[in-house]
Amino acid sequence: MTPSLRALFLLALAAAFGAACRTREDTRPADRLILRYQPLGPDPAPFRALVAGFERETGVEVEVQALPSGADLAHQLLVTSLGAGGEDMDVFVLDVVWVAELARAGWLADLSDAFPPERVRDEFLAGPAAAVIQGDRTFAVPWYVDVGLLYYRTDLVPEPPRTFAALATAIRRAQAAAPGIAGYLWQGRQYEGLSCNFFEALWGYGGAALDGERLRLDTPAARVALGWLRELVADGLSPRSVVTATEEDARRAFQEGRAVFMRNWPYAWPLLQDPASPVRGKVGVAPLPGETGPAAGALGGWQLGISSRAPPARRAAAARLVAHLTSAAANAVLAIHYGRNPARRAAYEDPRVRAEAPFIAGLLPFVDRARPRPVTPYYMLAADALQGELSAAVSGLRSPAEALGRAQAQADAIAGVAR
Amino acid sequence: MSPRAAWTVAVPYLAFFLLPLGWLALTSLWPDAELARALPSHLTLENHAAALAGGGLARAVVNSLLVSGATAALALALAAPAAFAIARLGVRGGRALLAAALAVSMFPPIATAAPLYVALRAARLLDTLPGLVLPYASFSLPLALWLLTGTFRALPAELYRAARVDGCTPLGAFRRVLLPVAAPGIATAGLLVFVFAWNELLYAVTFLTSPARRTVPVALALFGGEFRDPIVVLAAASTLATIPVVAVAVLFQRRVVSGLTAGAVKG
Amino acid sequence: MSARSERRLGAALVVPAGAVLAIVALGPLLATAWLSLRHRVPVLGEDRFLGLGNYRALAADARFWGALANTAYFTALSVALELLLAVPLALALHHVGRGRGALRAAVLVPWILPTVVAAKLWALLLQPDLGLLARLWPGGAAAVLARPTLALHAAILVDVWKTTPFAALLLLAGLQSIPEDLARAARVDGASALRVFRSITLPLLRPAILLALLFRSLDAFRVFDVVFVLTEGGPGHTTEPLSLYAYKTLLRAGSFGLGAAISLVTFLCVVAIGLAWLSALGERRRPEASP
Repeated sequence: MTPSLRALFLLALAAAFGAACRTREDTRPADRLILRYQPLGPDPAPFRALVAGFERETGVEVEVQALPSGADLAHQLLVTSLGAGGEDMDVFVLDVVWVAELARAGWLADLSDAFPPERVRDEFLAGPAAAVIQGDRTFAVPWYVDVGLLYYRTDLVPEPPRTFAALATAIRRAQAAAPGIAGYLWQGRQYEGLSCNFFEALWGYGGAALDGERLRLDTPAARVALGWLRELVADGLSPRSVVTATEEDARRAFQEGRAVFMRNWPYAWPLLQDPASPVRGKVGVAPLPGETGPAAGALGGWQLGISSRAPPARRAAAARLVAHLTSAAANAVLAIHYGRNPARRAAYEDPRVRAEAPFIAGLLPFVDRARPRPVTPYYMLAADALQGELSAAVSGLRSPAEALGRAQAQADAIAGVAR
Repeated sequence: MSPRAAWTVAVPYLAFFLLPLGWLALTSLWPDAELARALPSHLTLENHAAALAGGGLARAVVNSLLVSGATAALALALAAPAAFAIARLGVRGGRALLAAALAVSMFPPIATAAPLYVALRAARLLDTLPGLVLPYASFSLPLALWLLTGTFRALPAELYRAARVDGCTPLGAFRRVLLPVAAPGIATAGLLVFVFAWNELLYAVTFLTSPARRTVPVALALFGGEFRDPIVVLAAASTLATIPVVAVAVLFQRRVVSGLTAGAVKG
Repeated sequence: MSARSERRLGAALVVPAGAVLAIVALGPLLATAWLSLRHRVPVLGEDRFLGLGNYRALAADARFWGALANTAYFTALSVALELLLAVPLALALHHVGRGRGALRAAVLVPWILPTVVAAKLWALLLQPDLGLLARLWPGGAAAVLARPTLALHAAILVDVWKTTPFAALLLLAGLQSIPEDLARAARVDGASALRVFRSITLPLLRPAILLALLFRSLDAFRVFDVVFVLTEGGPGHTTEPLSLYAYKTLLRAGSFGLGAAISLVTFLCVVAIGLAWLSALGERRRPEASP
């Protein structure tokens, strides 16, 4: 072996050993908690200050670990870690649709002592409260929320449409005035965003998808709703690209002024109002339309849960951390510094939030009506099958009736009806 | 093929490979708000600044260099002697070992992530860099083994025999005669393993949790928020993060020297 | 040292590699095989022995067969294209005189780029309406990702772009093991370059080609990142490969037993492909030049 290769080789081995001198302890004392969350924004300082405040008050040390921002990856990591014992973390974030699933798996600690269900229903918004309370026990605490909104161009649409028919009319009128502009942008790619769009349409037609714990996907209202989504593309009210679009695709096109309407989450607003944005000052938000009147937007957002494997001493400290992070003051910090919509109703009336994050404060009527996707452990398990069938219908591969029939069959199989 | 003909052949390939890369570089200089336009109105370095902010990317590059280097070293250290033994020492079951190694590399990584997680946790190697190197080296061992076995087999038999006749032990002949001549194959195997370890995402994201231990793919996966997909910042980060690997590749490829020194055998 | 003690030394040299493979790789393999025989959904607390029930369910599963077809098509087309493209490239890399370092480094960069970044770059280029290709050819013809029949080809394109350098590198290593005197002697005897290539270079390149075909097929059959980023398996599962189906079954549907079964089936298919290549191209030894 030549001298240089040998040196390189030895160096690499030495590096490996050097790196080895950093192993983690296995047993953790009761005054050391691990929090896993998704980074809230580019500036970590306000959140760190929030956590530091807790450390000072209680003397409990908090180690903060970041989860990937992709919901899929985060879910995968949580399931891997929880499935392997759940001792690697104490407090962690959950997407609103994971609560039922993880609670049923027994991985979430029952928080009803520290956060009684009545108090949660009282202080937090109705949607998130419904998502975190299973069988009249609290399994997670809402942290921040999201809701589906209808964005529209105020210069092209005098008044936001309240019904599906009015939406179509408004699009045609706007397209006559501004030829070449797209109508309605939404998310049709095969992923959870499509499910959100579907449920919003379903609720717009007065349908519901939950029957006890079972998913009811193949209903008349569902077929009409899915058919409406398909017709948007077939009739040209939505461009063909919607079939592969995500939130960002819709946002970017809308921000360039290329569309009249967009369905998206509140995160898009500050970007649309950016000084460099061509549609700055020309955008408004409204509730999503329904068949006979405005309909509910889908509920998004994240909650904080505690691992059921945490020993009682750590669990008590973890509950205090969760209380601290979901307090009204913390809600305000998240709203002002990170643009996260609070989960507590009172936070929307907080004068600081009103002053420094007026758009968020103005979202109260929307988040108040936000509706969670079916709250059942079977939702997450069937989500993948549902997304596939919805995508097939929306891109014209299958009729809505056939797609929903197949989705129902797969959901039933998962719920143990057939298998 | 003459060098000129070689260049004529190479140019279309260069176009095919480099034009999208050029677009990536352009995207990294593109202001995020104008991404929906055909062309940016101006170029900006704010994406690179955002990518480097906080020092996370730099740290990730260092971690990746450590992990990839250690993986390549370990894989070569295990594979080279074994390949020599299979190619020259007539080990019984050598072909079975190669076949078994191949089978190991055929397994879908996703199915192995959870069992490995449990195993690494038991060995207290979770969230450590060596805990990553071990699975990486194991799953890149098959490729290294096959490549190096082929390399050693391709060496003239006289080389080894002449060295033995001259009084070398088998290991001595291996170290002093065969290894230098097999340097191109070893460098190629080392480079392949290095790049594999550099780009591996699934294990890195599953087994590493501390910000200080992140490797480059993990750091890249963490860009953006729940809905935001800052492709421009990602483009900037990946162009920056690719530079060290290209440097390593250039370093290695100098060893990937053309032509076997058949002069070692000439009388 | 006798031949037997040489062999014993050889065995000793092989043991470390074999041990590492066995310890780190064999365990998860066996765990997955065992898991595939059970019905295990941790979220619902279900865990019972099924025997071959998962496999029977897969045999009746249209989505599984669709995924298998997608994967087989993807593998066949990408590997074929990559090898066809890699041979001229390897020859060019081998014979280039000046600037060979820069050329080799430049050609390697697509492969060095993380797969996710490469996929996102091409997703940007191929985006309907806003992507570069859509602008160059307006009118929806370039809306590749939205068309089920075309979307898989987009994934193939990205894979070919990204891994042709890898195949070329393997072939280059093979080219460099070929002694130059053989080719030179043939040229002196009056053979044309093409003849030299066909009769001398190509046969001697066979081990390298086999290696490239083998490992590229293994990797292509387990494709995941490219498709996930481009389409996530859509529209309507039409671009979903086996590993993505396994991933979704394991981690979204939370059905560990079924996911393990899909992984095992993928593994067996890959084994079959490997055996096919090995028998077709032969794992023969090069005839020794002297006794």
